[in-house]
Amino acid sequence: MDGVFVIKGKLQEIYAQRSLVIDKAVQFVLALLTFYTINQNVGFMKAAASPAATLALAVICTFFPPIMTVLAATAVVLVHMYAVSIGTLAVTAVVFLVMYIFYFRLTPKMAVVVLLMPIAFAFKIPFAVPLAYALISAPVCMVAVACGTITYFMMEYVKKAAPGLSGSGLSGIMSEIPAYLKQVFQNKEMWITIVAFVIAFLVAYTLRRQSMNHAWKIAIAAGTIAYVSVNIAGDMALGVHTSYGMLGAGSAAAVVIGFVLELFFFAVDYTKSESLQYEDDEYYYYVKAVPKLSVAKPEKTVKRINGHRETEIMDTESVRNRRAARGDGRVEKDARLSGKRSHSESARHSSRTR
Amino acid sequence: MIDEQKVKLMTKLALYEHTQGKEDFKVSEYYRKDYAGMHIFSSILWVTAGYVCVAVMIVLAGLDALMDSMSNSLMIMFLMIFVVGYLGTVVIYAVISSYIYNQKHKDARMRVKKYNHDLTRLLKWYEREKK
Repeated sequence: MDGVFVIKGKLQEIYAQRSLVIDKAVQFVLALLTFYTINQNVGFMKAAASPAATLALAVICTFFPPIMTVLAATAVVLVHMYAVSIGTLAVTAVVFLVMYIFYFRLTPKMAVVVLLMPIAFAFKIPFAVPLAYALISAPVCMVAVACGTITYFMMEYVKKAAPGLSGSGLSGIMSEIPAYLKQVFQNKEMWITIVAFVIAFLVAYTLRRQSMNHAWKIAIAAGTIAYVSVNIAGDMALGVHTSYGMLGAGSAAAVVIGFVLELFFFAVDYTKSESLQYEDDEYYYYVKAVPKLSVAKPEKTVKRINGHRETEIMDTESVRNRRAARGDGRVEKDARLSGKRSHSESARHSSRTR
Repeated sequence: MIDEQKVKLMTKLALYEHTQGKEDFKVSEYYRKDYAGMHIFSSILWVTAGYVCVAVMIVLAGLDALMDSMSNSLMIMFLMIFVVGYLGTVVIYAVISSYIYNQKHKDARMRVKKYNHDLTRLLKWYEREKK
């Protein structure tokens, strides 16, 4: 487990050093996935659905604030709807307008959730988004999650029913508008999904705010159970076909994402928690202090075996001066040296005579 | 000689001017009541438009059923529901808008106040340097 925390620390360090680049990379990936999902589902206008257009839009959106991606995605969806029919375009535009008026005008930052929901649906992990926001945000996100779900089901409907929606003339438009509205807003599966998200969100949000031990883990588990239960209940009560395999796999993936979020946002050590009780003139205080979990980074010690040594540069002048000051010593040393030399010379001479 | 403290303060001021400051300066030009009132009024207009859109969508979606069982009493009942629903929605959104924009103005004023305080500190710094 310590290794995981060390990796977390390293990741945080990397993010702190290159936050700008990482933020922009994430924004680019989000934009690319958004446009790709839109084009895969409702890419009826060939020019706008081409890979080049998708990539170009994603690159452009990367250089602007995230709200620009939301606006561009809305525009792309409307362009594709126009390719289907005027009626479809009108209904979709009005639904987006209502979403903007009643919600996103007041909390524009939440608009990103609407992008994330269809992407999560495309990856078969729709519950990951409400669970993640229940863990790190506030209940106000529930509306955005519901709007994102409606957007996904609208696209899903148009994808399936596009050939039947291309009515021409005023009468054609007038007949397709009610059909489109009915199919989208009387879709039981959509409402069950929204209800499941809302209930699971509230369960997870309420539990993770409790002071009990392992609140986040309990919140993740309980939220997931609530989500699966509501879906199964909806399936049985309203006869909506739900793939239990996908439901289970998607929920399991959401749980994993929840645990990863816990690791990054709420890593605490419950074994060292302390309960304190004290009072002042007006109140009694019951405080539970839980220390944050942090693992010291292992220090690297570098042992040099054949280390490069700096060559000492001597001050020749000072050495000479010192030698001059110790003149006797030099004389003695010179004498010793000359003695040695004379001794060796005499030895060499004797060996030659022999 | 570069004064580290002064550079830090100038960076802080410049960062604020280029991020939150842009909107905060606009917001703090108004009195809180004026700012909140203006936005509540615009919210009411937006909500009216949104409410009409929703009502039209509901009517269109249930047009067949509505035509089959149309009567005067039903018309009056729908009209009543429409009006009461509209008033309820407007009141709820006016309250929400009032809270959001009052809070926004309060926060913006606080940040601008802090910015002005830092700016005064910086000016005093310059005055001291001149002497």
